[in-house]
Amino acid sequence: MTDIRIEREFSVSAERLFAAVTQRAEAVLWWGPEGFKVTNDQLNMTTTGPWFVHMISPEGKNYKVSGHVTHVDAPRSIGFTWAWHDTETDKRGEESHVTMSVIETMTGARLIIEHRDLGDNETGAGHERGWASTLASLAKFLNQNDLSKEKI
Amino acid sequence: MMILTNAFAALSDDTRFAVVERLMKEGELPAGKLLEGVELSAPAMSRHLKVLRKAGLINQRVAGTQRLYSVRPEAMKAIVDWTMDHRMFWEASLDRLEAHLALEKEPEE
Repeated sequence: MTDIRIEREFSVSAERLFAAVTQRAEAVLWWGPEGFKVTNDQLNMTTTGPWFVHMISPEGKNYKVSGHVTHVDAPRSIGFTWAWHDTETDKRGEESHVTMSVIETMTGARLIIEHRDLGDNETGAGHERGWASTLASLAKFLNQNDLSKEKI
Repeated sequence: MMILTNAFAALSDDTRFAVVERLMKEGELPAGKLLEGVELSAPAMSRHLKVLRKAGLINQRVAGTQRLYSVRPEAMKAIVDWTMDHRMFWEASLDRLEAHLALEKEPEE
């Protein structure tokens, strides 16, 4: 089991951040790493119910995730279930849970993403312990080296 | 051009995995520095570094009497592109959210 907790500070109000996270029009703009495009979605996270997103990577690889929005407490938090679909069989994989919380801070708002109950087979290459942290440092490394994204 | 299977084969060794992780965290390091804190002879470390170099994971640069090693960003990117990790997914998505929210703000100066 791997639990992921990610925090990020934003210099906008909690309400503004919550809207950008939960409203479909904005969510489609930022879901997925740089270069990914949302090709089909139900990303309205403002009400409980089913959600899904289909994405395509810059290399043309398709990704599909789906789940159920289990709670919405505007403008503080949302919770939803999450499972990748197999690219070939479309079989829905092991389910995990995501909570996104918005907390007001002195300078704006903080978004906390907690991704829980991840099976060992959930991280792609992640049969080896330590992959998650390694990939986190990879992401940082790539950001520093400007390879994974264009600086705005 | 890096072959991913070679990269993963090279990384399947704990020592080499640790070397790459350390180079990612600390940047370019001389071989001597990589020996610090590990129970390994210089020739053994040198062999590991050679494997990593042949797999395309690290670069070697000679500066005076020192050999300096660093991670090849292209190699790391190839690995990231191949896999899809949840942390990576969210971190990368948040980078875009940050950029999106920054767009609507007035320039700082």
